[in-house]
Amino acid sequence: MQATLEDFFKALRGSDLDVSLNAQIDAARATALVGWGERELLKAALGTTLAKTLPDRAVFDETFDRFFHFDSFGTTAASAGAPAVDASQPQAPPRESSGQGSGGPGGCHGSAGQALSQLLMSGDSAALSRRMQQAAREVGLTDIWFFTQKGHYTQKIQQAMGLELLDREISEARRQILAPQRHADLELARKRLFNEVHNFVERKLAMYGAAPTRELHDEFLQSQKLSTIDRRDFTRMHEIVRKIARRLAERHACRKRREQRGQLDFRRTMRANAAYGGVMFETHWRSTRIERPKVVAICDVSGSVRQYARFLLLFLYSLDELLSDVQSYAFTNHLVDVSATFESLPVEQAVDRVMQAVGGSGTDYGQMLLDLDEQLMHRIDHRTTVLVLGDARNNRGHPRSEIMKTLYGRARRVIWLNPEPRSFWGLGDSEMKRYAPYCHIARECNSLRHLERTLDELLRSNSASA
Amino acid sequence: MKSLHDTHFASVDVVSSRLADADYIASRQLATAVYLAFNLEKPVLVEGPAGVGKTELAKTMAGILDVPLIRMQCYEGLDESKALYEWKYGKQLLYTQLLKDELAGLMRDAEGLAAKIDRLHAHDDLFFSEHFLEPRPLYQALHQERGCVLLIDEIDKSDPEFEAFLLEVLSDFQVSVPELGTIAAKVKPLVFLTSNNTREMSDALKRRCLHLHIPFPDAGIESRILERRVPGLSSKLNRDLVAFVQAVRELELKKQPSVSETIDWAKTLLLLNSEHLSLDLVRDTLNVFLKFEQDIATAAEQLPTLMDKARKNAEFPHASDA
Repeated sequence: MQATLEDFFKALRGSDLDVSLNAQIDAARATALVGWGERELLKAALGTTLAKTLPDRAVFDETFDRFFHFDSFGTTAASAGAPAVDASQPQAPPRESSGQGSGGPGGCHGSAGQALSQLLMSGDSAALSRRMQQAAREVGLTDIWFFTQKGHYTQKIQQAMGLELLDREISEARRQILAPQRHADLELARKRLFNEVHNFVERKLAMYGAAPTRELHDEFLQSQKLSTIDRRDFTRMHEIVRKIARRLAERHACRKRREQRGQLDFRRTMRANAAYGGVMFETHWRSTRIERPKVVAICDVSGSVRQYARFLLLFLYSLDELLSDVQSYAFTNHLVDVSATFESLPVEQAVDRVMQAVGGSGTDYGQMLLDLDEQLMHRIDHRTTVLVLGDARNNRGHPRSEIMKTLYGRARRVIWLNPEPRSFWGLGDSEMKRYAPYCHIARECNSLRHLERTLDELLRSNSASA
Repeated sequence: MKSLHDTHFASVDVVSSRLADADYIASRQLATAVYLAFNLEKPVLVEGPAGVGKTELAKTMAGILDVPLIRMQCYEGLDESKALYEWKYGKQLLYTQLLKDELAGLMRDAEGLAAKIDRLHAHDDLFFSEHFLEPRPLYQALHQERGCVLLIDEIDKSDPEFEAFLLEVLSDFQVSVPELGTIAAKVKPLVFLTSNNTREMSDALKRRCLHLHIPFPDAGIESRILERRVPGLSSKLNRDLVAFVQAVRELELKKQPSVSETIDWAKTLLLLNSEHLSLDLVRDTLNVFLKFEQDIATAAEQLPTLMDKARKNAEFPHASDA
């Protein structure tokens, strides 16, 4: 039973449900309490220990039904074209279905002695499924995680089920000219076996293989340059960015708490306790003032950074969700406030809307800075972090770097993230070399890893402010 | 005196029937969660819409187990000194004043500063002992000789800091008081945390708890609840009423009527001596179970359709009656 549970945990992970070790122990203890006897009870007990939120619960229910579904041999019999076998399967009770997985040497394998051919010919599907399950366990099917392994596992399971013997019988039957019917039947049975096992492996791959494949894909997306990532990965990407954002938020929540504790505020304590004759009963603590991070984010969405713009906006959107007070702006040549769009629309739509409304060609950083000077400068003070996302390619216009200088003087931090590698800065019409001195941080940023690091730094600077 | 773990539940069904005896009709999922929480000694995080009986569950369990219920209502700004303990500053002050002479006498024959301080050291914990401790709910819960049911209500309203503080209590059933050391529970309490999901709880907290979501009950359970809670309600009215409320829950409403609202409505109808649901009666009493002007308007608009739907449901009840 332990092994079955472990397989089930694997299957849950395959469904992207994180099961902590703690929850696994609880689940095991819970099953010991309620037993395997009743399907609904088992489901309720496992559900309450393993799924910790309502959405998780939905995933759990679905996986549970899929996992404890009896993998009966011959469900695909019709397509395999086996006339000899009665396609209708006896519905196995749930108890037996869960027992199937255990498959230890002590398991009830009455058919173990029988040859595979005999089982196939007699159409004893229950015995066949038992043998298939056992074979699957022997070859470690739950470790499957990539679709290219399908063939390998299908082959191995068939062998474990006794394919060799079957093959020998087939070749023997071929030699015996007297029994052509038996030869044909055996061939058919072999084909059917292959189909069954193949489908079985496919189902299991869908169950166990999803998680590692997804992880691999995520890993790939994180390190990949933003410009080369496909549009269809956009939603996945958003999830990753959000995941990173949440992780950072959690970490920084901890840091905030620690700084809040402070030391004894001696002066206030003395004053408060004057009434008690200087005996300090009422203590006052010096606490650090936690400031709300104020962020002004400005994103270039012009043609030159088109491939990046979507992801910079995506990043901006996630930032908006994470930090409490973000004002987002986008520009090609004029500064446009997009905070309202971000707040009211889901990410995909919001990004599209902004790209449509603001995007275009003819970037003008000078004009953007003039706008900024006019509209925003009075609101930027020593508490504001200004974040600029763009390549600083100004089409040889006036750079207006003096505004950057004023900005640098006023704001707490100016951070410039440039999708171009550092070696390109200042080449051609890039004004990055002019702007960079007036940034507290100027950094190349074209993959998710870069974004993550910057976000971390941004938050640290915010919570460190005393 | 009975203690918490003198009670044994042999199976989930026993939990179900004990709850039913105490007029709490539980779904199988709920009974399983309670059964496991009791046997695994783990806290349960109970989620669900308002008014489905989250708090009631803790109260009922305290009744069944015959142990005190200690309730801690969470709110923004709740901190250790309000949840765990506080020193009785006034009492400390009073005692030092009263004992001034005594202390002076104690010091008299000691020579030199060092000797005096040494002497004081011998008594230094006097004013930070349990006599001067003001116990708050969590401290009380750990100190119950017979164990208790601890209800931490609306945990989602508390600050993340407080949630972090709770972790120690929930995983080990012990807390650290700097002046006194670690205080462990005498008998591990049965803990229920309720949440209305106004914010996501941290993973660490969720990991320490079993999870139970109480949804709106289906028609079968709801009508059994009414049977228990509103005795004297005719079975026909019960059926019609439940069918109607179930139909209303399918509407797009700001706040859907919960079990507590159904009960209120049933009591109202009983008071009005009505035998069956008529269109006018429903229209006049809508405000008993719908709490927003806008919702009442929405429901009133679709009243005929709702009545029709309810009638059909009442005649062909779902097979979900358990």
